This record gives sequence, structure tokens and C-alpha cells, in this order.
Amino acid sequence: MKIFCVIPAWNEEQNIGEVLEKLNGFVDEVVVIDDCSSDNTSLVAKKHGAIVLRHPINRGQGAALQTGNSYALKNGANIIVHFDADNQFSATEIPSVIAPLLSGEADIVFGSRFLGKKANLPFFKKNVIMPLAKIVNRFIFKIRLSDPQNGFRAMTRASAEKINITNRGFAHNNEIQMKAFALHLRIKEVPITVTYHRFGQKFGGGIRILKDLLISKIIK
Amino acid sequence: MYLQEIIALVLIAFFVSRLIIQKKKQTIGNNEFALWLFFWLAAALSIAFLKPLDRLVASLGFSASGITLLFYFAVFILFYLLFKLRLSFAKMDRELTTLTREMAILKEEQKNNL
Repeated sequence: MKIFCVIPAWNEEQNIGEVLEKLNGFVDEVVVIDDCSSDNTSLVAKKHGAIVLRHPINRGQGAALQTGNSYALKNGANIIVHFDADNQFSATEIPSVIAPLLSGEADIVFGSRFLGKKANLPFFKKNVIMPLAKIVNRFIFKIRLSDPQNGFRAMTRASAEKINITNRGFAHNNEIQMKAFALHLRIKEVPITVTYHRFGQKFGGGIRILKDLLISKIIK
Repeated sequence: MYLQEIIALVLIAFFVSRLIIQKKKQTIGNNEFALWLFFWLAAALSIAFLKPLDRLVASLGFSASGITLLFYFAVFILFYLLFKLRLSFAKMDRELTTLTREMAILKEEQKNNL
């Protein structure tokens, strides 16, 4: 069983080293996709033993994730874990995220900040942005998940082959969830811990995600 | 003929002359030349026959004058073209991402094969 961890990174030289250190022993291969950083992200990632794919131009997090998925599939991945480069997720939770895949209970697992574990979400994000995103997800995109935007997820090889991420920006989160539901994959949510170092997606970002999703519905 | 109509026709004549120069320099193809020539001639004809156009529009049951209807039509066409352009950009953007991805993976594979 070959477990790949895919990490999209853009100007993360400060965090990527620590993230890679913590991942040691939890996965078989780590693929960092340097999305045309202007700092030493690639260099630091290579130093810590990761496979580094570098985008010659900046394409966004969704594009980087699909690059990682394509590479992992080409190199025999059985399970692919998506993880963030900014040190907000906990590598020790990878076993619990991939457990439903290993037991054959699920095809795709989404991490959730709202299933009991501690997440120091900023107040506005927790009480305004997230409830709004949940409503949009549920009623427009027919996604029934407790966490509308979470980058910590894992999927089987078969699921990764079926889900081709086309949204290059942050709309990939919803796209992956939408496709998982549309493909009738067996979905499971697992509680995870998130430590916020910065605010992340703002309200304007949410509007951009909506716009990207609508455009992707028009273009095939 | 009103002064505004004469000014509009002079402007159209200027754009048609520019079009002919571009065709002679071969910076535009036959099809593009024909399309733009048709567009400017249609605009010139509409201006030259504004009164009959008003009558035609009124006979079709519109309350607006001919030139107002032409304006609405132009705005409609512009919005449509803008939408088409947006989709075309989005498609190119997606292709650019695919190309970037292929290059990144190929580079890593080449490195491993050395």
C-alpha cells in the first residue's frame, strides 16, 4: 500500500520544512508542488526529502493539487492525502483520516473542523462565512458536509482517477466535494484539528469561489 | 441630412479606409476583412436611411426610434461578445494550467531518468 501526500505550496519556505519533518513516518512519499514561489520553497522541500514539482508559472492551489494527483497516480499511489503547507494541519491525524480508506469503508475522506475537535477559527469566519458557505453548498451544490472548505482530505486511487480537479483556484474544495457526491463515492468525514496562523479565505474569496464554480459549470 | 449623420459617415469612411490599408498590408485575412467591411457598410446604410428605418421600426410595433433600437441591438451584441470572450479566456486559462502541469511532471521524470 503506497500512500502519497500531496502538498501545494506557494512562498512557504518558513513553514514547509517543519511540515515535512512532522510528516515523517506517516506517509510513503511526499510530493510538494511549488506553485512558482519567489522564495526558497523548492530548495527547503528538497532538503527535507520531498519530491518537488515546480510550476513554471503560478496557477493556484487547485491546479497544484491536480498536478500532485497526476504525479502520484503515475507513480503507483494507492492512497493520496491532501495536506496544507502552512502548518495548520496535524500530521498525527493522517492515520485517522486514511483509516476509513484502508478498511474499505470509504472512497474519499474529508477532514472536518466541526465534528468535535478543537479549531481556533476566527470569529467572523466561524459565525458568518462558514454558515453562509454551508447554506450555499447544501442548497446550490447539493453538498451535505459539516465542513464546506477543508484542505485536509484523503482518497483512494480509484477516486483520484475519477476526480479531475479543473478549478485552479480555491473553488477546488467545493469541486472535489461536488464530484465526490455526483460520482456516488462512499464519503466519510473525520474530525481534525486546525491551528490558524492567518485568517485564510475572506468573504471576497468566497464570492470568487462562487464565480469560478459557475464558470466551470458553463465550460466543459 | 443632419450634421451628426455627416460626421458619422465621415468617421465610418475613415474606419473603412483603415480597414483597406490593413488588408493591403495583409495584417488581416479575407474573412476578417469581409466581416468588418460588412459591419461598417451596415452602419453607414443605417445612418443614411435613418428615416425609413424609423418607419420600419414603427411598423414593427416598437415605440423606440430606429437609432435607439440600433443602439439596444449594439449593446446586446457587445454583451454577447464579452461573454464569448470570457469563456474563451477561461478555456485558454485551463489549457495553460494543463501545459504547466505537463511541464512540471515531465521535468521531474527527466531528472529521474538521467
